[in-house]
Amino acid sequence: MYIDHFLHTPSIRFAWQYAKNQLRTKYRYTAMGFLWNFLEPALYLVILSLVFSVVNRMNINDYAVFLFSALVPWRYFEKVVNTILESIVNGEWLIKKMYVSPFAFPLNRLIISSFEFLFSMISAFILFIFLKENWSIHLIVLPISIIPWAFLAAGIGLIGAVLYTFFRDVKPLVQLLLTLTFFTSPILFKPDIFETGTIQQQLMQLHPFTYLAALFQKPIYMAAWPTANEWIISFGFGIAALLLGIYLVNKYKSKFYYYL
Amino acid sequence: MKNKTIFELQNISVEFEKHSLNQRSLREAIGSRLKGRRLEKTKALNNISLNIEKGDHIGIIGRNGAGKSTLLKVLTKVIFPTNGNIIRDETQHVIPLLELGIGFQADLSGRENCYLSGILMGYSKKEISDKMNDIIAFSELEEFIDEPVKNYSSGMYARLAFAIATDINPQVLIVDEVFGVGDEFFMRKCIIRMQKLMAKGVTTIFVAHNLDFLVTQCVRLIWLEKGEVMMDGNPAEVASAYRNSKSPLRLVNVQ
Repeated sequence: MYIDHFLHTPSIRFAWQYAKNQLRTKYRYTAMGFLWNFLEPALYLVILSLVFSVVNRMNINDYAVFLFSALVPWRYFEKVVNTILESIVNGEWLIKKMYVSPFAFPLNRLIISSFEFLFSMISAFILFIFLKENWSIHLIVLPISIIPWAFLAAGIGLIGAVLYTFFRDVKPLVQLLLTLTFFTSPILFKPDIFETGTIQQQLMQLHPFTYLAALFQKPIYMAAWPTANEWIISFGFGIAALLLGIYLVNKYKSKFYYYL
Repeated sequence: MKNKTIFELQNISVEFEKHSLNQRSLREAIGSRLKGRRLEKTKALNNISLNIEKGDHIGIIGRNGAGKSTLLKVLTKVIFPTNGNIIRDETQHVIPLLELGIGFQADLSGRENCYLSGILMGYSKKEISDKMNDIIAFSELEEFIDEPVKNYSSGMYARLAFAIATDINPQVLIVDEVFGVGDEFFMRKCIIRMQKLMAKGVTTIFVAHNLDFLVTQCVRLIWLEKGEVMMDGNPAEVASAYRNSKSPLRLVNVQ
């Protein structure tokens, strides 16, 4: 029965077809159309790196490569969590009238955000052509590096979606947690700003995003492979969150109709 | 020979919380838990047991708020009942027509909406493209099929939605009072299409307020009142009992 809801073929087909239509119509009526997919993230990254290199008084090229490497997946993470959180409530127009699996709208949001991530990544790499000197073979792991990010984001998004269905005021709470996580993660700052042995340095060791960020920072910025530890911890968190999210949706799906 | 059962409802109840709006925030939920306030509940369906068999043509009647639409939503898996059990024949392709054009996206063309809507009804893309010409022909949208549906008139919209639902391969059709949308010509066209499907052995479940239509088309009529089955059986008998029950109520209301 659980598997039946999760793998309901028409719902998966719908999530995919609807995502294709949304991506296609999003830019249908804009002058620059498809180009916006690349321009918007590129502009964002340029502005952010300018600001932070001035604030931190660092070499802009070096800092920008460091920053972009984990910021692009972070933006993806944030987008997935936020849109999946709202997806079930926003899917009311369909869910209240016709049967679709409760996972159809979350999956749809995941597909759309993943395409947007791909465009952002391409934009970042176009910028890297001007910024980055050490290109290396390590970049080939990036398609695997994004998987634990996607799992973790989808899992937290699903947990949030269940809570949001019953309690509409959890959204600012989730926002707060995301902001807190972002500013404590070694995405804006390099983890080596803390000396070894300090409390801050030890806390960073406990932060899941230290490991997730390394999956991108190591291949892109440091031209190195992520360690086995970083893979295991990232995938561990990702899979655990995803399973919990799926479990909660299945447990409470029969009540969704009454709260939409 | 006994027909195959498609839906078997066992003691189905559906309860809605009154004033459920209050419960939608964490703050309120904790507050009412602390005060020990219990929410009032209303029963949309109360302990309903029914069997629906393959090839049945069933009409459902009842006054507003009797639970007709709720019952259809239970049959189409949209609502999980609060109590009771429902056994479905999962091999049957159930097409819900609770509203015309559910899932239509205003910015998409008629053709794109056909695919989206057809997929939601459980068809594959190939099944839909194979029938695309029939759908276009029935909906009379030849020149407009690639226009965004937001530019359609309500009649065009209704014709397209009805064509998608009935053209491909429905085995069970669940229809909630949707024929009132178009003009009389469209209505007649729909009814002819429905009669053909019924003759072909498609199981149909109608909710309608047009009693004459139900009496002539259905083999069984179910009368719901306040979430309970008042009467279930021969269409003419149920319809006349329903009519007789209605008139005194009306008089009381007028006074």
